[in-house]
Amino acid sequence: MGYRLGIDVGGTFTDLLLFHEETGRIWRAKTPSTPADQSIGVLAGINQVCERAGISRDAIDSIIHGTTVGTNAVLEGKGGRVGLITTIGFEQILHLARGQTPGPLAGWMIMMKPDPRASLEDTVEAHERMDARGRTVRDLDEADIRAKIQGLAERGVESLTISLINSFANPAHEYRIRDIAKEVAPRLPVTCSYDVLPQFREYERAETAVLNSYIRPNVSRYLHNLESKLKSAKLKAILNVLRSDGGLMSVAAAEDKPVNLLMSGPSGGVTGALFIANKCGFPNVMTFDMGGTSTDVSLNQGEASIGRETNIATFASQNTVLPIKVASVDVRTIGAGGGSIAHVPALTKALRIGPMSAGADPGPACYGKGGTAPTVTDANVVLGHLPPQLLGGKMKLDIEKAEAAVRTVGDAIGLDVYEAAQGIIKIVNESMCGALRLVSVERGHDPRDFALVAFGGAGPLHGNALGAIMGSWPVIVPPAPGVLCALGDVSSEYRNEFTRTFTFTVDKTTPEDVVEAISELGKKASLWLTSEGITGKAQHIRYEADVRYYRQGYELPIVVNPEKLLKGFSPLVNEFHRTHQRLYQFNMDVEVEIVNLRAIGIGKTKRIKLARKKKGKPDPKSAVSGSHKVYFDGSWLETKVYDRAKLSPGHVVKGPAIVLEEDSTTLIHPKHKGVVDEYANILIYPAGK
Amino acid sequence: MAKAMKKAKKAPKSAAKSSKKVKIDPITMDVIENALKNARFEMDATLFRTSVSPSIREQHDEFPIIADPEGRMLVGQFGSWLGDLYKHFPDPIDDGDVIFTNDPYMCGGTISHLNDWLIQMPIHYKGRLVGWTSMFGHQNDTGGPVPSSLPTDATTIFGEALRIPPFKLYEGGILNDVALNIILANVRQPEMNRADLMALVAACRTGAQRIRDLCRRFGTDTYLAGTQALMQRTYNAMKSLISQVIPEEPQDFEDYVDDDGRGFGPYKVKVTIWRKGDKAYFDYTGTDPQSEGPINYYLNEHLLKMFIGVYLIMTHDPWILFNDGFYPLVDIHIPEGTLLKPHHPAALSCRTHLLGRQFDILGGALCKKAPQFLTGAGWGSSPHMIYSGYDADGKWFNAFEIGFGGIPARPFADGMDGHAMWPLFTNQPAELMETYYPMRVEAYTSVIDSGGAGYHRGGNGLLKVYHFLAEGEVSIHDDRWLTYQWGVNGGSKAMRGKKWLKKVDGSIEYVASKCDHVKVFPGDELFYQTWGAGGYGDPLTRETARVQKDVRFRLVSPEKARDEYGVVLDAKFVVDEEATKKLRADIASKRGPAKPFDMGPPLAEILKNCKAETGLEPPKPPVFKQIVKMPIYKSKPSMSKLVLKKRVA
Repeated sequence: MGYRLGIDVGGTFTDLLLFHEETGRIWRAKTPSTPADQSIGVLAGINQVCERAGISRDAIDSIIHGTTVGTNAVLEGKGGRVGLITTIGFEQILHLARGQTPGPLAGWMIMMKPDPRASLEDTVEAHERMDARGRTVRDLDEADIRAKIQGLAERGVESLTISLINSFANPAHEYRIRDIAKEVAPRLPVTCSYDVLPQFREYERAETAVLNSYIRPNVSRYLHNLESKLKSAKLKAILNVLRSDGGLMSVAAAEDKPVNLLMSGPSGGVTGALFIANKCGFPNVMTFDMGGTSTDVSLNQGEASIGRETNIATFASQNTVLPIKVASVDVRTIGAGGGSIAHVPALTKALRIGPMSAGADPGPACYGKGGTAPTVTDANVVLGHLPPQLLGGKMKLDIEKAEAAVRTVGDAIGLDVYEAAQGIIKIVNESMCGALRLVSVERGHDPRDFALVAFGGAGPLHGNALGAIMGSWPVIVPPAPGVLCALGDVSSEYRNEFTRTFTFTVDKTTPEDVVEAISELGKKASLWLTSEGITGKAQHIRYEADVRYYRQGYELPIVVNPEKLLKGFSPLVNEFHRTHQRLYQFNMDVEVEIVNLRAIGIGKTKRIKLARKKKGKPDPKSAVSGSHKVYFDGSWLETKVYDRAKLSPGHVVKGPAIVLEEDSTTLIHPKHKGVVDEYANILIYPAGK
Repeated sequence: MAKAMKKAKKAPKSAAKSSKKVKIDPITMDVIENALKNARFEMDATLFRTSVSPSIREQHDEFPIIADPEGRMLVGQFGSWLGDLYKHFPDPIDDGDVIFTNDPYMCGGTISHLNDWLIQMPIHYKGRLVGWTSMFGHQNDTGGPVPSSLPTDATTIFGEALRIPPFKLYEGGILNDVALNIILANVRQPEMNRADLMALVAACRTGAQRIRDLCRRFGTDTYLAGTQALMQRTYNAMKSLISQVIPEEPQDFEDYVDDDGRGFGPYKVKVTIWRKGDKAYFDYTGTDPQSEGPINYYLNEHLLKMFIGVYLIMTHDPWILFNDGFYPLVDIHIPEGTLLKPHHPAALSCRTHLLGRQFDILGGALCKKAPQFLTGAGWGSSPHMIYSGYDADGKWFNAFEIGFGGIPARPFADGMDGHAMWPLFTNQPAELMETYYPMRVEAYTSVIDSGGAGYHRGGNGLLKVYHFLAEGEVSIHDDRWLTYQWGVNGGSKAMRGKKWLKKVDGSIEYVASKCDHVKVFPGDELFYQTWGAGGYGDPLTRETARVQKDVRFRLVSPEKARDEYGVVLDAKFVVDEEATKKLRADIASKRGPAKPFDMGPPLAEILKNCKAETGLEPPKPPVFKQIVKMPIYKSKPSMSKLVLKKRVA
């Protein structure tokens, strides 16, 4: 066991974190990202970090990489050409989707529906049928489907998806078609819906499986390129990829099921934030990752909450999302960030933020790259939250352009430029709180019992204000947001889930049947871990059942111990009643139904130790780099500016204060204080606390 | 301090009037608005997770609102006029009370048939009434003679289902389980109703908690002033919108509901719209008298105002946040004893067709003078399929599904194929239906050529094929099997819907659009084909590439591409541009200029060809009888309250 390297490729910077497993030492590096070919920036970073650690590149044993290449393919509509095989009668499964149009009433008038990821022209029907219990109703017409696959291959389809009705109950026909496809078109990668999502609801399963095929060429190309670049640079390290659920997997596994990478980016942030929060002694945290165009929030208790549906917005439409049902860190994404544009519709004269965004180009007006629309970042500049020098002096912000942009909004609603800027910040904060409330209160948690980890480019600017509205203390601001993700990469464990639909009420099945089925899944999980090189005691298998009242719409995951379960269902049923009561304040007198069974395979990796510095004196004046006027609630306050690199453990920074570092800025409000802990995090509390 | 608290508790119910004058800045207003929106989505989320009936949890047939102390909607998805309910309630309503009803006649049409169970809850903060939350959801069944409680042959509301007058389901936080037991003993799947009802209550409580949080954050006076300012803002926006888009000269529009389920029809609905000063007038004079059958739609005027507002907003400026603030700008006249304001005890259960149709006529009349905002007709109906019986285990089942049709062509785009006109509704997955009910879904697809042709194409209707595996009964609710979904600005009418049963012996039976007690046996298959939506603009001007794409996607046939779009394609669907140009010129010269509305042939001709074209007998002309109004029962003040007061004294 030697060196592990975490790599996070962001829009601006590539962050690397090298970890020596024996000594627990870590080294960091930061290089500019190279969007045209990300591996260039990655290699530059590797050289830098190896130099700092004084090791040669071939000393690195494993590299862990969080990637957004799959997500970007979806957002930009640049995935591969997918062929889809459905059961006869269902060729329009993606075209019709669930038939939903947006609210409110007459929302259909403004809906724009993007074309499906598998075109109707590239969709064919198989003559076959299973019933919902997995019994064959009609045999597969093999000659017919063979000819159709031939046709798809000739038309230039790059990736094939097979998604048949009721395959969740029996995948035999899907597998047979896959075998035929291997004969007819051996080079065509095939995704069977059963392998990706063996659960009922045909549209969601098909959409998820098709998306897997859609991003497959992009992910495959990207990972191969990276692997070969690493090899030619004489690296011997094994490349692992961070999954959406915060676990690790090999490149081969990622190529097979790239749909598991869709939330790879956010999961690195959450994993890293949790790692830090646990170190600080706050296992119960909400994470708040605010970037340029969107913001991710999540709620976690000790470990990352895992959700099983991800809503991905597509490039073509803001009011249509794809419900992708794979396990991922349970983040809620809202389309508001530093680049969101403020505007005032003529009829209402209301101040609205987003959904339009200035993006990276032209970006906010203050970037001086031609943008004139007022963004959240411009409002932060106008109020002095963001001093004119950013990025360690490399980039200057144009205050005049920011003011001119925000003034357009102020004029429209009759407020001066500062009040308008303040308004933009307040409204965007309110949207953020809405998202935080949905992950906390809606799930029966009181946000006051949770700390808040603020990161991302804009998170530390807004974190203090959110903490105040939500009553969530402390607000933890870890150093360098990119490093946080890289830290998440190296601190993650191997993880994979194996789930199948079961759908029996407890009076219609026996504990023996459930244990048999779930043990089968456990074996799969163990085999997967073995194939990833994790054996023996490093393997941990956890079991869950998704349970609900008969015919209820959504399930609650309940942890299961197979040995105890053999003695009877009542502990499982009682735990379900208790959980339901806590979340929804009522129980029902109907049968309890097991819907899905799940085995989660976890491969332990060596725990990271963070360097800990002893706390010194509280006075931070050695870190003061200047002073600056900042607008808070109607008045300008003289505000000290601190250099984060010079802050050391034990320092207490009194608000109002601004703390600068290379790629983010922390704002501490008046009547609040920032305490620097042993790991160099800033913990913001109300002054009296 | 204690004294002050006591005083606060005795504060008058109408808190808005007693509010201190608070000046509200626009930013606080916007923050409150955002918070209200968040609260409303939390209500939905709570309901979806906990409800049981497929109509609520899978299809989202539910409507939340948050209102001010006067009962006016601040945020919501459909709205209801709560004032009509609480103002006529016989007892004082206090903190911890939850009002429950399903009777349209006893809440002024806030809900419009007995299947919609409505919860209304006051929100108190520090002893003061600060608002209301409310939500209703469509129950799978609410008792009465037929499963799912929408009898097509009912002639009064007494023959439809269980009526629940407004009462306190909870009083001071305590459940009235006696009343609830009586109610649940009268429905077919009591546990399902119970769960859905509790889910509605839980969702309303969530909304109420958020409003109390806002009062704590901003202070009650600021919160209330903020809500009033939000209403004023919508009032101002709608004022300028109305003066821009509603002409002073009266515009009328009429359309039909095909039949009443008892063999009579079609029934006419008519509206005339004009503006005088700032105010818009909507007059429904000319609408047919009420029907003896259950298609009457008891339309609440406030609800109608909201429909009108939403329509104007969505066509002209979707950024406006919708609330009740603009109601004084709209004046409604619906003559009594008509389809839209029937006398008690007219039957109401199948009101869904008229509910949809009035959106079509509103759209038609509002945009007659501004055709660039018109859309094709799309509110064919809200097609229902109900299948009930006993499964192989001898267990009662009752499947209930709301289907979709085509979405109209819009001024800027095609209509979607087979999507929902209702906001946020979703279809029922075949795998879910097959898991829970003895049936297979053999096909779920849109119907080629069923959408009206146009520069923008109307959406295709749907075909769903149900293969039944157990003996049982089927009910159907649908419309637009006779009259057409019209096209606009040169766009064409769409294909009508039809339903047929393919019996296990291979014979075909056409099924009426509104019927109960259709006996089905294992192996029988129901083909349920819904109507397409109307097209927009001249189909001869549609870009050939878009026509070609539809043909390649099997959404339009090569024949229709040729005959209606004038596009000539070869066997590989490559466009012959030369032949197309010629054919288009040819069709244009024969056809003449494009019509503003394509409604299909005159009604008399439609009726004459009915049997030949639809396989069904034409409906008989409606017979309108003199209707005597029966008084509506008014609940008496609660005895328990009096007893309680006495005991306290």
